[in-house]
Amino acid sequence: MSVPGDTRGTGTWVGRTVPRKEDLRLLRGMGTYIDDVPEPRGTLHLAVLRSPYAHARIRTIETAEAEALDGVVAVVTGTEVAELIPPFAGDYEKPGFKMSHRPALATDTVRFVGDGVALVLAENAYIAEDALGLVFVDYEQLPAVSDVEEALKADAPRVHEELADNVLIEGGNRTEGFDEVFEAADHILRERFRINRVAGVAMEPRGCLAVYEKSDDAVTLWTGTQVPHMLRIGIARYLGWPESRVRVAAPDVGGGFGPKMYLYPEELLAVAMAREYRCPVKWIEDRLEDFLTTFQARDHVYDVAVAYDDDGTVRAVEVDVAVNSGAYSNYPMGASLEPFQGPLNMPGPYRFRQFAFTCRGVATHTCPTGAFRGVSAPCVTMAMEGMMDRIARHLGLDRVEVRRRNLVRPDEFPYVNVVNQFYVTGSYVECMDRALEMVDYGGYLAARPPERLVDGKYRGIGIAVVTELGGHGAARYKARGLPDLPGFDTAHVELEPNGRVRATTSFSSQGQGHETTFAQIIADELGVSIDDVAIRGGDTGNSPFGTGTFASRGAVVGGGAVMRASGDLRERIKKFAAHLLEASPDDIVLEGGYAHVQGVREMHVSLYDVARAAYGLTESMQLPEGEEFGLQAIATYDPPASSISNACHIACVGVDAATGLVEVERYVVVHDCGRVVNPLLVKGQIQGGVAQGLGQALFEEILYDAEGQMLSATLMDYMIPTALDVPTLEMEHIESPATDNIGGFKGAGEGGVIGALPAIACAVGDALAPLGANVNRLPLRPDTVLGLIEGAEA
Amino acid sequence: MTARREVRVTVNGRAYARNVEPRMLLVDFLRHECGLTGTHVGCAHGVCGACTIVLDGVSVRSCLTFAVQAEGKEITTVEGLADGESLTALQQAFHENHALQCGYCTPGFLMSLTEFLRETPNPDEGQIRERLSGNLCRCTGYANIVSAVQMAAQRLREKGGVS
Repeated sequence: MSVPGDTRGTGTWVGRTVPRKEDLRLLRGMGTYIDDVPEPRGTLHLAVLRSPYAHARIRTIETAEAEALDGVVAVVTGTEVAELIPPFAGDYEKPGFKMSHRPALATDTVRFVGDGVALVLAENAYIAEDALGLVFVDYEQLPAVSDVEEALKADAPRVHEELADNVLIEGGNRTEGFDEVFEAADHILRERFRINRVAGVAMEPRGCLAVYEKSDDAVTLWTGTQVPHMLRIGIARYLGWPESRVRVAAPDVGGGFGPKMYLYPEELLAVAMAREYRCPVKWIEDRLEDFLTTFQARDHVYDVAVAYDDDGTVRAVEVDVAVNSGAYSNYPMGASLEPFQGPLNMPGPYRFRQFAFTCRGVATHTCPTGAFRGVSAPCVTMAMEGMMDRIARHLGLDRVEVRRRNLVRPDEFPYVNVVNQFYVTGSYVECMDRALEMVDYGGYLAARPPERLVDGKYRGIGIAVVTELGGHGAARYKARGLPDLPGFDTAHVELEPNGRVRATTSFSSQGQGHETTFAQIIADELGVSIDDVAIRGGDTGNSPFGTGTFASRGAVVGGGAVMRASGDLRERIKKFAAHLLEASPDDIVLEGGYAHVQGVREMHVSLYDVARAAYGLTESMQLPEGEEFGLQAIATYDPPASSISNACHIACVGVDAATGLVEVERYVVVHDCGRVVNPLLVKGQIQGGVAQGLGQALFEEILYDAEGQMLSATLMDYMIPTALDVPTLEMEHIESPATDNIGGFKGAGEGGVIGALPAIACAVGDALAPLGANVNRLPLRPDTVLGLIEGAEA
Repeated sequence: MTARREVRVTVNGRAYARNVEPRMLLVDFLRHECGLTGTHVGCAHGVCGACTIVLDGVSVRSCLTFAVQAEGKEITTVEGLADGESLTALQQAFHENHALQCGYCTPGFLMSLTEFLRETPNPDEGQIRERLSGNLCRCTGYANIVSAVQMAAQRLREKGGVS
């Protein structure tokens, strides 16, 4: 198919299953994660003393004993730090938003368990940790609130005294004529869904190393981040330095998933201390700190009302979303992310034309929450698909039939949905039909006894038809009023003097495989092998400016920038090759590392010789007229619209009647992310995303007690899935290429988790439906499920 | 702080002698004293398995072991698996099956599974998953790791069982 602005070459790398280039170092233990970055001589180790209380006033801090410990260089309190780092804000003044600030270390009030109150600089990490035990803080404990609904009450303890209540942000909208349509429908169903708070639990905890560059009076911050360029903007802003004196570099990063796309206090502390003490400063968190302080996600309550007709057609949907935002808004996304992404994702693949929402982000005395794979989409999709199942049960219709009557149909694309999402292409019905075929839906239902109990397990099947909004460009972030998220990305591609290709991009990687997928795109553009393409990025010191790695932007925006830059480079290479071959640039074809004249393969020149000529490495002048030395191109890419992938997930579960344990016995996905760069990697994203969704659906939960004390701060208490929990997915792809972006790609990073929550929740709901159990909350741990079974039986 | 003690170990065939505090964890010894940063710390409380190494032929969590406990012993870390440029059958199978994404947990999986394949040359999927359940991976969802183990086991059997 022809895509406007398409500059694809003739190659065949894109679309192929290619094992990753980055594997070779990682498999040998030769990766460089943050704690592996060589420590310069004299590195000091920073440790943060953290509040044991969710809400307290700091009366006094005694540091003398800690300071006296051998190997301790300094103990610095929040008040002292405040002179170097002003409190930073996650949000900006605008209607519906309230400004709140976070000091890098608490000065007078702590607002969650884990809030930093003092830091230690010591000669090694063991001593730094010892010294934390010798800092004595006198706290005046204050009433705390950890639950979102409690925090909304008029007499709730306030998290920020400068605010009138705990609502950090609120918004809403109602389509014209909503009320009439809602009331005119044949039926109305209401439900409340509670979605558990979860943690990203990247296997590599956070950490950073700030290196003072004395000759430049500058600091290089090595940090495990998804967004080096955004971090540099924030650090320069809050420390009041020119950006030229801050370099942010991400080495190999051991998992991101969203929580690593924010500026954290420890990064500001390390940079400020490195400059203050004129030496390298390193901070590596442990898993306890990760659970206490790395931004968490979800913790939502959805009140949903659906109005529908006798035939199952949904006429109108109303939703109220309350999001537990935690103690602070985070830079650069603010507190708007989760509350507004819920309603935006709710219509998903469905055609209803009336929609009303209200949403709030609510401060509590808990760890701040923010982006985690899928943001609110997995939660709101669980609510929407849950309602589809309830409609089917209420009307006595098949769940598939109810969905079919409401899905955007194949002949309706391009389609603009009720919240103005532009679905340029998609395959909602096709994916569902193929998934049903793969799982033999009819056979499954026929073989199951009416009470659904087989071998002591209730058997259920759950269907989720989902969309995945990703690859957002500038328009999206500007519409949300986020000044520090530009939305575009950049690639710089050069043919080096030895004829190999090197590209730097504004992306950093946390396991996505950009070194391979971007190389595949370039290889096609330039007619070379991916073995001859090196991809670098993640370092503001040597890669071009751009937004960074989140929201399934890699292929769409990063890939788009890479494609544009290498397309420009290709045209320049053609001019040089044409000059050497005495032909017209229009007749030059790049293939197999050579440039040849179309149809006359024996008239060829290697890219090595082209590069030698272009860099002046020849005996005579071989520069084409009007051309300059060098072969490089830089290009930005800002996609005109978000890309919207889609999928159908079907989960088959067995619920042990005696123990309540849910086992996912079979899991089918038919997925459409447009043009696929590398099927092996897309499948990996989906399998991994489903595993995270399965974890949230069945076991994971960050728990706070009523006083805001965390009860789930180890991997023994917070259980992520093991190999015994996650089945191997049965997976197929349908390709509906995007026709409104340069590569035809759509995002693939988040769809797995978006589908898993609704598929598994609906499957358990189906398994227990004969008992009348109402599955409307996560996680579905054995005790919860047993309660549902027993409650229903009682 | 207690008096330092000398620890002599052989890691990947090379002898190391260092004076360290008795409380130093073996993983810190390997990473910071020996400069072998391929062994990673994921949780430091013995759950995730990222720090798994082989100590005198047996896989152990190096975050739950003190360096002094390794005195006189032989250690293999992930850096000791590949022979120059050529990967082991297990590493090669991880590569071909896309059994790693961020790669942070991978060294622990490789060390645990190297031992497993030596003991269990012909494992079924249940045995593989049982073994894998001692290591946590947050990226892959495990399916490709299972496939990689199956592929490596088959190739090793064909080669005669030497990894």
